[in-house]
Amino acid sequence: MEERLIATVASALRVPKSVLTLHTGPGDLEAWDSLAQINVVSEIETEFGVSIPVEHVTQIQHIRDFLHYLQKTP
Amino acid sequence: MKCALLSNVNVESIARQMVRHEVYIAQGYGAWTRELADPASGTLSFGPSSVFLIIDGAELVRGQRGLEPTLAEVCQHLAYIERAAERLPGIKFFVSTVDVPARALRPLKEEHVERRLEQHWHAGIARASASHANVYIFDLKELVEQVGRSLLYSNKRWYLGGLRYSTAGEKLIAGELERILDAQLVARKKCLLLDLDNTLWGGIIGEDGVKGIQLSETGEGARYRDFQLRIRELGEMGVILGVVSKNNETDAYEVFDRHEHMVLRKDDFAAMKINWSAKAQNIAELAQDLDIGMDSIVFIDDNPVEREAIRTELPEVTVPEFPTDTCELATFLGRLYKDYFFTLASTAEDRKRTEAYLTNAKRAAERTAAPSIEQFLTGLGTKIFFTRAHDEDLARAAQLTQKTNQFNLTTRRYTEQELRALQTTPGAEVFIASVADKYGDNGKVFASIVRRDRHGTAELDTFLMSCRVMGRFIEDQILDQLVRELRANGLSRLRVQYIPTRKNTPARAFIERLQGGRLLSDEESGAQTWEFDIAKASPVTKPAYAELRTQPMRFFKVLP
Repeated sequence: MEERLIATVASALRVPKSVLTLHTGPGDLEAWDSLAQINVVSEIETEFGVSIPVEHVTQIQHIRDFLHYLQKTP
Repeated sequence: MKCALLSNVNVESIARQMVRHEVYIAQGYGAWTRELADPASGTLSFGPSSVFLIIDGAELVRGQRGLEPTLAEVCQHLAYIERAAERLPGIKFFVSTVDVPARALRPLKEEHVERRLEQHWHAGIARASASHANVYIFDLKELVEQVGRSLLYSNKRWYLGGLRYSTAGEKLIAGELERILDAQLVARKKCLLLDLDNTLWGGIIGEDGVKGIQLSETGEGARYRDFQLRIRELGEMGVILGVVSKNNETDAYEVFDRHEHMVLRKDDFAAMKINWSAKAQNIAELAQDLDIGMDSIVFIDDNPVEREAIRTELPEVTVPEFPTDTCELATFLGRLYKDYFFTLASTAEDRKRTEAYLTNAKRAAERTAAPSIEQFLTGLGTKIFFTRAHDEDLARAAQLTQKTNQFNLTTRRYTEQELRALQTTPGAEVFIASVADKYGDNGKVFASIVRRDRHGTAELDTFLMSCRVMGRFIEDQILDQLVRELRANGLSRLRVQYIPTRKNTPARAFIERLQGGRLLSDEESGAQTWEFDIAKASPVTKPAYAELRTQPMRFFKVLP
């Protein structure tokens, strides 16, 4: 799950997987601006078949926050 | 390529996907009309060669009350586009069609006014495209219809960032935009070769007979008829069509001559190889007859063994897989068009091409009948019209530099925009020539770019001619005329460069028959530069076989 999540984020940001850890977040990378954040959310929604509420999107600080969210999803 | 995206929604995410090109996005996506109207705007000062207008239908009509004022506003938007296109002839404008979703809650008694708005916009951009050579239609609405709104749009992305399209939708749009940009850079394929049995019709003519094959207006046989209709469209766009089939020629011809549902006729094809020889051999011969490179051929055959044989023996020929479900034949051809033959606008020259290749075949037949090559060449009644290129010639001149591989001394590729710039460059001139003969008009088939220095030396930057008229020493006669013109303009030396490629051996043969040259450089790559003293003599040795007309030419008005 973690690996798949990082791969998905990397593909959305067009960066190599190696620059990302679960602790990377918006602001840590030049490529991860507010527009990229929307793309990250969209790609995760598509990849994992989930829907992340708009309210939650702004609260995400690190990749691991997505993980917590995905794990909560049945 | 430098391009700009203008939109009434946020398209930055689309631009980010177009990594192979330099893409400019205007700041603040509401202001696309201002970006067009203001010559100092970020978009226009970026210097794009293509501008894409991606117009979101819902946003176009947002906040509008009533149909009439909305239509008026749409007219105004269209006027901005037309004015920009007029002012900036060097920029290609690709204007999107629009998708205006209806208000979701609508009584059935109420008219679907959004349809009218769409129509109004589409009629407007069709007019703009018809009256301006540099306005094209980007059919966004077609994409919406193909994929569906629920997949192309994303509500969440809209509310989060003004992004109208889903990530999948953005990929699709970015792909289409890149295809349009690439089409301006990459040479498209020239020739589509088709098998007959189980390809143009269902069944095997040698076994089933004319009455037994599947080919009809409706029902199962319509799969093949629809396929043929699409192939004919491709031919009308200037793609050369040919047949390569293992059959008895008489059997196959019977279908062409007698089957009532046959769409394609024998004269739709520039060449037909219907015999029992290996297809690779037939294709090689056909390429030679038509004077085209193997890498400009796409070969379609339902038989996997034949496909494999061609892939192995003629690896440069493109051999797509054949659809396993023959209901998809027409769709398959649509994809072939997009992948190999895509073009922005088929020029009149393109449409003439198949005709020209056809008459070429007739000319070849005449060559065998005529007693000597000289008599043959004189008997063709060739007329050359050679002139300094005018603005309206530049699109064709650029196309010639992009497509011509065989008789091309330097194989330098130019875009229309670059040629336009060249015309105003001191000491540079673009020339063009058209050729006609007793069989028909070949159109503009020759282009040359000449640069001069301050000391009386001219240099052929580019000297090329379409293979349609090769082998008739037309190039010799044009060079002879060019030398005269240069002399009249006070030039005394001519430098001719030859840069070898895999395909331009005909150009080498041309260099070798010129006389009186001094070899200035002879590189390991085979590249050579020759210098000719043209003050009194001409390097051309061949006699004139054609009648050559020119316009009085004053050129190099400004010295470098």
